Amino acid sequence: MISVIKPGLETSVQDWPGRIGYWEQGFPPSGPFDSWSFRLANLLVGNKPGEAGLECQFMGPTLRFERDAVVAVTGADMVPTLDGMGFEMWRSHKIKAGQALTLGPARKGARAYIAIAGGIDVPPVLGSRSTFHMAGIGGIEGHALKAGQSLPVGQGTATPGRQVKLAARPEIGGTRDWQIEAVRGPNDDWVDDAAHQRFVTVGWKLQARSNRTGYRLDGPEWTFTERATNKRLEHGEHPSNVLDHGYPVGTVNLCGQTPIILVVDAPSTGGFINPYTVPSGAFWKLAQAKPNDTFHFRVVTVDQAHELRRAIDRLCTPASLE
Amino acid sequence: MIYDEPRFLPGGDKFIEMELGDEMSFDCNFLVHSVAALIRQAKIKGIVELVPELSTIMISYDGDQIGFADVVREVGALRRSIGSLEDQELDSRLIYFPVLYVDPWTRACYDDYCAKIAKKEWDPELLVRVNNLVDLKQLIRVHSGCEYWVAALGFWPGLASHMPLDPRCVLTAPKYNPPRTWTPKQAIGVGGGLCAIYPDQTPGGYQIFARTPAPIWEPTQTLPAFKQSLALFRPGDRVRFVPVDREEYDYVERKVGEGSYQHVISDFQKFSIKRYHAWLATIDPKERF
Repeated sequence: MISVIKPGLETSVQDWPGRIGYWEQGFPPSGPFDSWSFRLANLLVGNKPGEAGLECQFMGPTLRFERDAVVAVTGADMVPTLDGMGFEMWRSHKIKAGQALTLGPARKGARAYIAIAGGIDVPPVLGSRSTFHMAGIGGIEGHALKAGQSLPVGQGTATPGRQVKLAARPEIGGTRDWQIEAVRGPNDDWVDDAAHQRFVTVGWKLQARSNRTGYRLDGPEWTFTERATNKRLEHGEHPSNVLDHGYPVGTVNLCGQTPIILVVDAPSTGGFINPYTVPSGAFWKLAQAKPNDTFHFRVVTVDQAHELRRAIDRLCTPASLE
Repeated sequence: MIYDEPRFLPGGDKFIEMELGDEMSFDCNFLVHSVAALIRQAKIKGIVELVPELSTIMISYDGDQIGFADVVREVGALRRSIGSLEDQELDSRLIYFPVLYVDPWTRACYDDYCAKIAKKEWDPELLVRVNNLVDLKQLIRVHSGCEYWVAALGFWPGLASHMPLDPRCVLTAPKYNPPRTWTPKQAIGVGGGLCAIYPDQTPGGYQIFARTPAPIWEPTQTLPAFKQSLALFRPGDRVRFVPVDREEYDYVERKVGEGSYQHVISDFQKFSIKRYHAWLATIDPKERF
């Protein structure tokens, strides 16, 4: 059992790949935003890569361990300490009953992950322990951690002192300029060539009003093709309106003139077009970006997007530990 | 129009949007659900889930088990296997909702919107005016006068888009601009040509004028209707709104609170598009009740 002393800004229980199979009914997958860092944290403490752990956003929690545990922290650098002493990231550590682990504000990156041997043992909802706070399901009482709560921990055994090889870690170096892969479509034929040109040449600024639901971007105006401007009435008035349709997770959803990348807690359907989609292999970069960071999009093919994901999957195995 | 050949559009490495047409119509949506049912039955290895919508199906797939081209080939073949839409039949449950029309809660929400956000015409009166109805009584008669088709789910857990199956009962309305910041849970609203029950207290844009005490999603899964799933509706369901008085509304609400309310659901019918088309041909769509 773990006691929450300070909850951090918005710390939640997540598992991977999250709540799959209920997208049709409006339940997003949720799960860790940077699943690369998350899976490595679990592997470090002897868990399956998808076991439930904690996602800390921007400012981490203070947790007191009521039992001995083996714990690892990965992802953003929130300068973790154990009873005030340095706690090396990307490495498994033994924590003794009564000790407190503290994560502070993110120095590099935005999201850190805490894995505990045995995983966080909350009851699964629709097959997943991931928190989806908007509907209040999963995790601890459906929401982010609150001070005074207790986190149940499952049974697990792990070896302290293991670490992730440098070459297997995502590069979270504190850059404010990100190159983000994007696949054209599904609705790329609704915007014109000039808009496609601007999409890849301009730096898009991440707005502060961004979270696990959507990443709002600031940039130039979009221009449209005939398909968007001369369409049946039921598609709506604005060129970016379309008959309600399903949204891919990761899609660049054009709401009027504001592109919003729909991420892990996104709505499943709506009435706006999606000219591009960020593939799953680039999600870790979105997760580690901060407001006012700049995104430069690089168009890749579907095959390249699959390869990007596979390259990360290949690193999320015990072979990446030493 | 409904396309002869569907379009398959990539959505990153995990999704493919299948566009079956570009119109909002019962026929196009019926095709969507017919194709979705075939994809589910085919249990194609690597296809993970489907989001059927008004004229499209979002297909999610596992790229380590099936490639983009194979999804297109296999799902495209299923679409072609349908042949004439007229021969299609789908299992269709009918779910009855007790409804208090022109209720105090949507009125209070409207008053709050006018006080805090913007003055606007009262929703039921707006619906009467833009649909050329005589009065609120006729609004209730028209809205409760037919079955609704669950055309699509999504956006919020439990939420569904309901399409009136009788053209004499079609109501249209503009959406709130700017949208409401909150809507009473289980309020009923109309926006564009669609109707919806709000599953929870959420923001919203539909014109609201009624409320049901029966929930359409329940995270605690207490009521019998939610033992299988947190959300009530499945695509292809039909809905009937039954006007009730305040006494009946309160009775149902009490039963819901006690955890003993049984949703009224009949599950023994098939929807035949051929018979639906034949019936449509017998009615005057310009008529109102």
